[in-house]
Amino acid sequence: MINVNPQVLITDSERLDINNLTAEQVALEIKNLNLHYGDKQALQNISMKIPKGQVTAFIGPSGCGKSTLLRCINRMNDLVDICKIDGAIELNGENIYAKHVDVAQLRRKVGMVFQRPNPFPKSIYENVVYGLRLIGQNNRRVLDEVCERSLRAAALWDEVKDRIHESALGLSGGQQQRLVIARAIAIEPEVLLLDEPTSALDPISTLTIEELINDLKQQYTVVIVTHNMQQAARVSDQTAFMYMGDLIEYADTNTLFTTPAKKKTEDYITGRYG
Amino acid sequence: MTVVAKTFDPRQLKNTLARWLISAGGISVLFTLVLIFMYLVYVIKPIFESASIAPETQIQFLENAQDSETVAVGVDELKEIGFNINAQGEISFYQMQDNEDHARGEHLLTESILSNDENLQKILSTTSNQYVLLTTDGTIKVVEPTFIVSFEGDKRSMNPTVRYPLGEDAIYIDEDEAAIKDFSFVMNEEKAMIMALSEDNRLIKTALIADDDFYYDPEFTAEYQLIADNIDAIDFIQVTPDTTMGVVARNNEVSVYELDDDWDVPVKGQFNPVIESQANITAMTLLSGSSSILFGTDNGDVLQWFEVASDDGRKFQQIRRFKASINEAITQIYPERYRKSFFAVTPSGQVGLYYTTSETQLWQGKMLQSDQQPFAIAPRANGVVLSGKTQLELLTVDNEHPEVTWSALWQEVWYEGYPEPAYIWQSTSGSDDFEAKFSLVPISFGTMKAALYAMLFAVPVALAAAVYTAYFMPPVMRKTVKPTIELMEALPTVILGFLAGLWLAPLIEAYLPAVFLLLILLPLATFITAFAWYKLPKNIKVFVPESFAPMIILPVLILAAMLAFTLSPMIEASWFGGDMRKFITNDLGIDFDQRNALVVGIAMGFAVIPTIFSMAEDAIFSVPKHLTSGSLALGATQWQTLVKVVLLTASPGIFSAIMMGLGRAVGETMIVLMATGNTPVIDWSIFQGMRTLSANIAVEMPESEVGSSHYRILFLAAFVLFVFTFVFNTLAEFVRQRLRDKYSSL
Repeated sequence: MINVNPQVLITDSERLDINNLTAEQVALEIKNLNLHYGDKQALQNISMKIPKGQVTAFIGPSGCGKSTLLRCINRMNDLVDICKIDGAIELNGENIYAKHVDVAQLRRKVGMVFQRPNPFPKSIYENVVYGLRLIGQNNRRVLDEVCERSLRAAALWDEVKDRIHESALGLSGGQQQRLVIARAIAIEPEVLLLDEPTSALDPISTLTIEELINDLKQQYTVVIVTHNMQQAARVSDQTAFMYMGDLIEYADTNTLFTTPAKKKTEDYITGRYG
Repeated sequence: MTVVAKTFDPRQLKNTLARWLISAGGISVLFTLVLIFMYLVYVIKPIFESASIAPETQIQFLENAQDSETVAVGVDELKEIGFNINAQGEISFYQMQDNEDHARGEHLLTESILSNDENLQKILSTTSNQYVLLTTDGTIKVVEPTFIVSFEGDKRSMNPTVRYPLGEDAIYIDEDEAAIKDFSFVMNEEKAMIMALSEDNRLIKTALIADDDFYYDPEFTAEYQLIADNIDAIDFIQVTPDTTMGVVARNNEVSVYELDDDWDVPVKGQFNPVIESQANITAMTLLSGSSSILFGTDNGDVLQWFEVASDDGRKFQQIRRFKASINEAITQIYPERYRKSFFAVTPSGQVGLYYTTSETQLWQGKMLQSDQQPFAIAPRANGVVLSGKTQLELLTVDNEHPEVTWSALWQEVWYEGYPEPAYIWQSTSGSDDFEAKFSLVPISFGTMKAALYAMLFAVPVALAAAVYTAYFMPPVMRKTVKPTIELMEALPTVILGFLAGLWLAPLIEAYLPAVFLLLILLPLATFITAFAWYKLPKNIKVFVPESFAPMIILPVLILAAMLAFTLSPMIEASWFGGDMRKFITNDLGIDFDQRNALVVGIAMGFAVIPTIFSMAEDAIFSVPKHLTSGSLALGATQWQTLVKVVLLTASPGIFSAIMMGLGRAVGETMIVLMATGNTPVIDWSIFQGMRTLSANIAVEMPESEVGSSHYRILFLAAFVLFVFTFVFNTLAEFVRQRLRDKYSSL
């Protein structure tokens, strides 16, 4: 049905059964999450477990709530006044919507990369160490070290090592997006949320980012929202298909794309709508 | 293959038309700006031009009059009729310009002033156009060549005549009718003052007091006084035109006498102006205005001396030195009648034209055969007349604006009567021989001071408001708040100025402690309210709609202000002895003007707040949301995001907002006109007034004579203002462009 890149195919031995995860295997657990924008309900009773050290993709047609769900994971929806949330999201067994949770601290654990590359109008170096400076880390040696490590991890070091003190705005779109990923992983989050990270990029940059995502899952739990089904098939281990605020189907990527359980999923991945 | 035929297309026409219209509009705006600029330069340019002197006309004396040597010359105000006085005491008038009645060179009138038995010893000309003829008998005759203009129908004719303001009879200077060695004479309508040295070595003063007015009636009463005995010779003697002082130079020692007193003639000062330079005084003249004495020396200098207030009373002091000649003495100095210009002449006939206030040499050249050649300055200082053996020459002097030089405008100048050089703006006075003080420094300073105090008030308020409105305020409230503040910009500044001058200034004066109390109370009240709101239980908070929660600060601020004004009298009573204004003036020694920088700062601050607010708010609001989200997603707090990302990204806009505000404050007129007191003082004190360039133009332009130096300097002030605002706006635009390039790819 879909031409899945064989190199990224996951072998059966690595595959997890997402319905039977042990507590250690779960990075995030979403429990009965409902979200309203004013009177309109955007997410309906979502429950799912996102496994550690894997790439989980949210797919679905525009407006299905996949980005909203992603933004719930690091509480970016808090910025929207009319947004009301009930239910729970547990990070390592702790509800991130509990009263005592410091949102800034939470966001340091759950990093996020947006659709459009958004480097700050500062140097490449300052962009990468921004998160460290926020908590008062100004030790030059530490910053230098983190900067290099993060840029290497984001596969950008070789391209920019000679000009890390120049403006980040001089980088190409793909480089900027990798810089933003470097900036996110510089503070060593547990989870990395990618909100359509390649939608504004050209095919070659997209490929680079996809390879990077594959590397990142060694260290981080990655959740990616994409409207590109091929991309979901290429990079993710699990895929969740959402439609009109409902989680229709959540399964390992191979299963979802080859033998979807639901009719809606099948219609979507075969291109009947979207 | 088909070719699309070129047909009439109304869209193309509209497109072309619109392009032309827009181009025409843009170009005409630029063109207008250039025109304004060029007009300003056109008006200003003459004040920086040097003087020029060129021959205008020349006429021959009558043949039978050519034998007798000319001793004095002159010309009427319009330079139409010239005259000479010869050694026999005859005055002859000649037409200098062609007109309907007379041709150029025509002899008009000759009159004998002296009778046959009188011999001319010396002739003096006064600054009020009289000629005083001293005879060998010790008598004087005063003549005033007068030109009577009459009209017959439309035809204008001018006829010369000779007036004797003190009568035609010879007047003895000395009570004992002794012969006179040297003398000086000045007169006005009420009296004539003579100081003289008699042949029998007495220095005497004679005052001729008019019975009525010399203008109508030559009858007078003479009063004689002896000043000193046994003075065998003097070098120079002068009486000031206001008849109050006499100056006598003798062997390089100069004595100044007070002539006011009817009983006594005391010595006011004594000094040697050439003691340091080892030179000798070779000429002495009084500069117009009765204050300055000019000395010519044999090493070619002209020295200006005047009386200066010092710790031990008023003392004469050398103020300026003009190097008028390198190798010759200065033997004659001719001052202008109204201005501080003078001509310095050397024995070989080299002439230099100088202006004292601006300390400049305006012209130099060989004009005369010798220093003895009769020479006179035309009454309007627009020409000079000099006589040769047989002819009268008229030269045009183009010296409209000698008082203006770069240094007179921008550097400290030592004005007459001032204890030290200073920056002064004082353009007019009631007196003709007033020394105009045209320093642009005090008014430029005033402009800067007013703008700075306004910015001091406006920038923090406007920026804080902009940050709050763009970044924290609920969108519903922002929708009403932003247009409201922008509407403030439409408030006519004349109303703000009016309120500032007539309501705010007296209020501040009366409640001075309240103003300072507000500085503390307002922020304090804001913080307390904010903290209280933060701590308030949620179930109370829900009663206030979230969008309008910030409104609860308003009553608190009003209460704080009322508290400040209520406490003000009590604070004054308990700490400042009942009146803070008096306390500041008397105990702290700080001058307090009712219209001061504080009032202007607040009033003009209000005028520029909308400008700064509007632009800065736009800049902050237009910081892309994905940048703020990016920062927040990295665990930054709202405040960290604001400081590290939002303000940084909005900085070009914020900077240009501030510069635009500054440009507006510099050019603002009505508020400063009405609230500054318009005192051109240089003082940073917040309790002192100031005068700004714009207010100065508004105040003085209606009273300045078109084409005068004052008029042109006001245009120069306008030009400086233009440059100020131009520089600020250009700087703002330049920085904005550069920063925008930097952030363009956001």
